[in-house]
Parts: sequence; structure tokens; C-alpha cells
Amino acid sequence: MLALQLLCNGIVTGCALGIVAISFSFVYSTTKIFHVAHAGVYTMGGYIAWSMLEHGFPAPVAFLVAVAACTALGALIQTGLYARLEQRRATHLVVLIASLGALAVIQNILASVYSANILQFNLPWGSKVFTVVGDVRLTVTQLLTVVCSLAAYGAVMWFSHGTILGKQIRAVASNPFLAEITRLRPRRVHVYVMAIASALVCVPGVLVPLDFGLQPYNGITPLLTATIAMIAGGVGSITGAFVLAIVIAELQNMSLLFIPGEWSIGITFFIFVIFMLFRPTGLFAAAR
Amino acid sequence: MVLRLNGLQAGYGPKTVISDVSFALEPGQILAFLGHNGAGKTTTLKSIMGVLRPSAGEVLFDGNRIDRLNVAERVALGLRLLPEGRGIFPDLTVAENIDVVAARNVSTGAMFDVPDVYKLFPVLEERRTTRAGSMSGGQQQMLALSLAILGTPRCLMLDEPSIGLAPNLVERMFQQVRDVCKSHAMTAVLVEQNVAAAMKIADRVIIMNNGQIVFDGNPDEARASNFWHYF
Repeated sequence: MLALQLLCNGIVTGCALGIVAISFSFVYSTTKIFHVAHAGVYTMGGYIAWSMLEHGFPAPVAFLVAVAACTALGALIQTGLYARLEQRRATHLVVLIASLGALAVIQNILASVYSANILQFNLPWGSKVFTVVGDVRLTVTQLLTVVCSLAAYGAVMWFSHGTILGKQIRAVASNPFLAEITRLRPRRVHVYVMAIASALVCVPGVLVPLDFGLQPYNGITPLLTATIAMIAGGVGSITGAFVLAIVIAELQNMSLLFIPGEWSIGITFFIFVIFMLFRPTGLFAAAR
Repeated sequence: MVLRLNGLQAGYGPKTVISDVSFALEPGQILAFLGHNGAGKTTTLKSIMGVLRPSAGEVLFDGNRIDRLNVAERVALGLRLLPEGRGIFPDLTVAENIDVVAARNVSTGAMFDVPDVYKLFPVLEERRTTRAGSMSGGQQQMLALSLAILGTPRCLMLDEPSIGLAPNLVERMFQQVRDVCKSHAMTAVLVEQNVAAAMKIADRVIIMNNGQIVFDGNPDEARASNFWHYF
């Protein structure tokens, strides 16, 4: 029964991680920027929602305001930082360092405004427990995480393949030079991508801390794991990133049956090494 | 004159690649723009398109200077480029390729709308749901040409469109380019290593060497001259 509980917990964690992976992959495949500051956007979403709830706003309003704030921050990072560096023909390394700098700034602002201590959400309904199957129990927050993550995944798939803007974003990712000379406005598309990805990452950014609490520096581990899911799933593949995030979370959780919990991050990097050795293009990579 | 270059000079960083490049093209005229590798042909196309900023000289379109306009503004005027070897979005399907470009370039009364390109290249309609990058070289080039002409092109610049294509496909494709240009009074600049095939459809030949124009005349004059001496 413990195995079944761990399996369900893995699905919850994997779904949340899957949205971080999809959103990071969305940015990386289109802009080729290793957007480490995404971890800062993820963390900020939770803090904005917490502040709104503390001021007495209802949970849906707090969530929507957090999404709007993250969207704006993502667009600001693109226009105020990455686009300017691109104009100056900065190398990928320079952009990566700038992104790390932006992450440090966001984390430090959050730490100075809210303190570096763990903040817990005061939402009694969030910890209400449901029995799913047998003795397997999940909280409302966990169920909400699965539902919202699956809905976000479905929305991204529909947006990418069913709307003209989604297709334009994929076109810019596929051939930036042609996108430039066919008036697809790659620079503007990059801003849209960063805004959409930031809105997406706010979903797990708010839902995960409902269970585990908030800390300014807790966005890095999910981002690293999501990066591995993106690479193992195949860069550019939305489904690949989402599925591999669930697989990694499941392996991390199930490994608890055999080895101590502190080794779970080692499992993640073991998967990464295996993929790098045997399928560096990722599981869902399209044949070129 | 649709397109006129006056003393164009451009390069990369401190290195000047082309200098004093001047020519003018009439509507419907097809120019074979020839020269060995590194002669400056692609640099000239990039300067016309606005991808590269010229360091001196003028680019005029319909008599108006366009060398201060950005790429998108030049495309809106009707300048189109089919880039060498990368004229499609390989990860999108054929229909998605055409739809995204049409959405930004086709307006009411456009010369080439989506049905027009499917009519011009029926094989693309048959392969609408195929991933563009998985098609044969010839079909990819047909798609690239379709993307380049969607909307209202006035001057089409083709950068080595025959690369990787079988000789019979090259002739067929060049003939289609000629038919499209003549039927729609569209000017074409054809940068090509396949000199014989390019000369067959061209009205005019310009040969570049070391960044400068060394021959400018019609195909008969080119053939009558000590042609290969210019390369």
C-alpha cells in the first residue's frame, strides 16, 4: 500500500514538475536562452498569491493576480534584459550569466521583503484529505495540482497546434532566420513566449507551496529537474517534457522504497547521464 | 525600375565584402546573379533584404530609398528572399508552414493566396499534413518557393535554390520560376552555381568577382564573351 501511495505522490509531483518543464522548454526551444531566472518567476508566483491571501482576497483572485504578475515579470525580463543583450550580440554564456543575475535579484528581493524563513499558506481546505483508492490519500491541494497541471498541459498542446500564434511560435523555434524574412516578428514572439511560459510556471509556483510552504531559494531544484525532463524528453517536445517529468518524479518517489530520500536527486542525474549516453536527442525528439 | 542599387558597399565588421555594386531591374526581368563562392552574391542579397546594413550606397525600391527600412518593412513592400538551404520551417507540417506565413503576408487582393500556391504546386496539397522536414529535397524547395511568394511579391531573390536537387527537378523548378515571374510581372534575382540552368531562364546576367561586378549583359552577350574568364 505504501508503494501505491508513493506512486500517487509521484504523479502529483510529476504533474507539477511537468508544467515547469513544459514552460522552460517553451522558452528554450524558441529563444535558445537557458532561462535560469524562470526559477525566480516560479518562486515569485507563490509569494504574490500568499500576499493576496494574507490581505483577505479569495483564493481564485490571489491565483489570477499571481499569474498576471508572473506574466508581466516574464515579459519584462525578455524586453528589459534578454532582448537588449541580443541586440548587443551577446553570447549564450553572457545571457546565461545575466539570467543567473536576474534570478539572484528576484530571490534577494523576495528574501528582503518576506524574510528567508519558510512561510506557510493559511488555507484550511487545502490540507483536507480524500481517500482515493484503498488507503491511498491525497489532499485537496494535491488533487488540484493534478487537475490544473493536466488542464495546463492540454491548453498548451491546443495553443501550440491549434492557434496561429502557437504555430508562429513553433515556426520561430524551427527556423528563426526564415521567421525574420517572412515577417513573423521573432522578437515580439519571444516576448509572448516568455510571458506565456511565466504564466504557466505560476501554476505549480502557487500550488506546490500550498503543501510545502514558501522559501525564496526553493525554485532551483524543480527547475534543474525540469531541465533534465526537457532534455530527456527531447528539446521542443511538449509531451516529452511532461511525460519525462512524471517518470522522473515517479522514479524519485519509488526509490524511497529501496534507498534513503536524500539519494532521490541522484536518481534524477542518473537518468540524465543514461539519456546523454544512449539517447542524447531525448525520447520524443522528432526525426530531422 | 523596381529595384535599383547605387554604389552599394557592405561587409562583416571591418571587412568589406562588396563595393560599388550598381544595377537596376525592370518589372518581370530575371537576373542570373553569378560568381564563384565568396564573390559577394549572398552579401548583396542580404544588403538588399536589410539583413545586413550597407556601409555605403543606396537601395531603391520603386524609386524610393529603402536602406533605412527594417526587414519586415521591406518584405511588406514586396521584396522576398528564398534563403539558401533553409527556406522552410522543418518542424511544422506543410499546411502549418503555409498558414503561418500567409497569416502575416496575405491580405485581400494579394497576388498569391493559399489556394494559389496549392494550385501552383499540387503535391503540397497532397502532403498538407506531412512534416515539412521529412519531405524530399524537391518538395521542400517547392514549399520554400511557395512561402517566398505568398502575398504580393514584386521582387523575388533566390539564393542557390538548386542545391541538393536532381538536374531534372532544377530545370522544372526554374521553368516554374520563369512562368510565375512572367505571368505576374515579378522581378527575380537568381543566385546560382548551376550557371547553365540559370542562363536558360535569365533575361540578364551579372557576374561578380571579389565583391565587384565584372560583367553585366544579356545571356547571349555572356555566351559570346570569354565567359568563364570572369569567374
